[in-house]
Amino acid sequence: MVKEIERAGIPVVHICTVVPISLTVGANRIVPAVAIPHPLGNPGLDADEAKAVRRKIVERSLEALTTEVSGQTVFD
Amino acid sequence: MSKKRIVHYINQFFGGIGGEEKADIKPEVKEGVVGPGMALQTALKDEGEIVATIICGDSYFNENLEEAKVEVLNLVKKYDADLFIAGPAFNAGRYGVACGTIADAVKNELGIPSMTGMYPENPGADMFKKSVHIIETGNSAAKMRKAIPLMASLATKMLHGEEIGSPEEDNYIPMGVRKNYFHDVRGSKRAVNMLMKKMSGEAFTTEYPMPNFDRVDPLPPVKDITKAKVALVTSGGIVPKGNPDRIESSSASKYGKYDIEDLGDLLESSHETAHGGYDPTYANADADCVLPVDVLRDLEKEGKIKELHRYFYTTTGNGTSVASSKAFAEEFSQELIKDGVDAVILTST
Amino acid sequence: MDLENQQRVKDLTEKHGAENVVVLIGAAEAEAAGLAAETVTNGDPTFAGPLAGVQLGLRVFHAVEETFKSAVDEGVYDDQIGMMEMVLEVDEIIEEMEEIRGEFGKFND
Repeated sequence: MVKEIERAGIPVVHICTVVPISLTVGANRIVPAVAIPHPLGNPGLDADEAKAVRRKIVERSLEALTTEVSGQTVFD
Repeated sequence: MSKKRIVHYINQFFGGIGGEEKADIKPEVKEGVVGPGMALQTALKDEGEIVATIICGDSYFNENLEEAKVEVLNLVKKYDADLFIAGPAFNAGRYGVACGTIADAVKNELGIPSMTGMYPENPGADMFKKSVHIIETGNSAAKMRKAIPLMASLATKMLHGEEIGSPEEDNYIPMGVRKNYFHDVRGSKRAVNMLMKKMSGEAFTTEYPMPNFDRVDPLPPVKDITKAKVALVTSGGIVPKGNPDRIESSSASKYGKYDIEDLGDLLESSHETAHGGYDPTYANADADCVLPVDVLRDLEKEGKIKELHRYFYTTTGNGTSVASSKAFAEEFSQELIKDGVDAVILTST
Repeated sequence: MDLENQQRVKDLTEKHGAENVVVLIGAAEAEAAGLAAETVTNGDPTFAGPLAGVQLGLRVFHAVEETFKSAVDEGVYDDQIGMMEMVLEVDEIIEEMEEIRGEFGKFND
């Protein structure tokens, strides 16, 4: 899906846990996530800390969207 | 002469330990066969003996690729294997990635002949088909009975040190290797014959299928994110509570488009996941951990982005075919463009 | 057949004896029906559950088969299964069930 969105002309960032898969499918802007069942959460932390982690990942994604890349790039 | 020794790798599900809730277990080893190893052993007869089975949780392996690889390699070393077999993983993504990763590591780091099996669309296949022999299987465990004899055949060849034939002969996913050979008909004649068939509309078989590169050049970055309308898309299957459009838990035949106009946060009471391929507990309790609506609303209020698009698009990535995913995204991308969306954040589990 | 049900079938068979257990399934397609039927006769063909490699050979029938249909109240059958009977591929399901029983059943009477 990531490739099709980019092909249509919309910059896209992929937040995903298994980065090698994202690289293989061809995403250009990739941000690693926390874990498979909760890519943007962490049940081990309390609600505020978990939200802070989530925010950090989303902010990193916004950074990826505003960064020029020449090929597949992982932002971590 | 003592029998050849084989070590088998399977996941927590085929190991009879549990389903998604046990996908985080660390590698453990059992002597002899477990689960599908039974069928493999029967098919292998006296060619070799599965002396040990390593069982590891799919999520554990994928979330800790480096450590898990080392842990499993240490276990394989202990058993002095003549051959290593992983899976078959069919279309299970994490399992396929684990099988490919470990088969490749055993082959290249321990120098032990190694093989696995999975469905060609499994991400593990794309990642490892060039470096490891991967038997081509069907897309679900229902195809186990067809897969086992193929795996056993290749395993037997490897145990005897025999030369492995072409992908068609030995049923593995093409590795991209080109072997030179002498054909009794010269190339120019074969080419003309093929062209004549093509021109007269007859069926013909190419001698060299073109590899599918399918890469998209990266787009230039968003110039000013504070003026951007950002949309959320997910393959994690987040849907309104009750899954009103009945998006399938695997092999999705459709995607959903849902309104979050007045929502500042996804709640247990409002949203859940339809995805059947990962432990849904966390997503059902708080879907923000897969689709971060709460954080994006905060960023919107703070002016860090101009706007969070009112609709999000969702489907389940579990076993959904590449062709379907492509079609979904092609379609909704047009809507996103019409709605003036400047950027997309796509989350996957 | 899911793991829990495989365990239930295994436990019940151990408790009551294979000759005293009949399994009735209602899968919507022939392939699914075949998988379930094979699981309780020749063992889990996916090798994922407790019945992997366990050959119980149990009597197994599908709800659309004559053996079951003629053993129950006609009115109740019509109420509960009549609609599905019109929608399912009954012939394919029956064919699959007979094949599995013929090949793997231990009590074909």
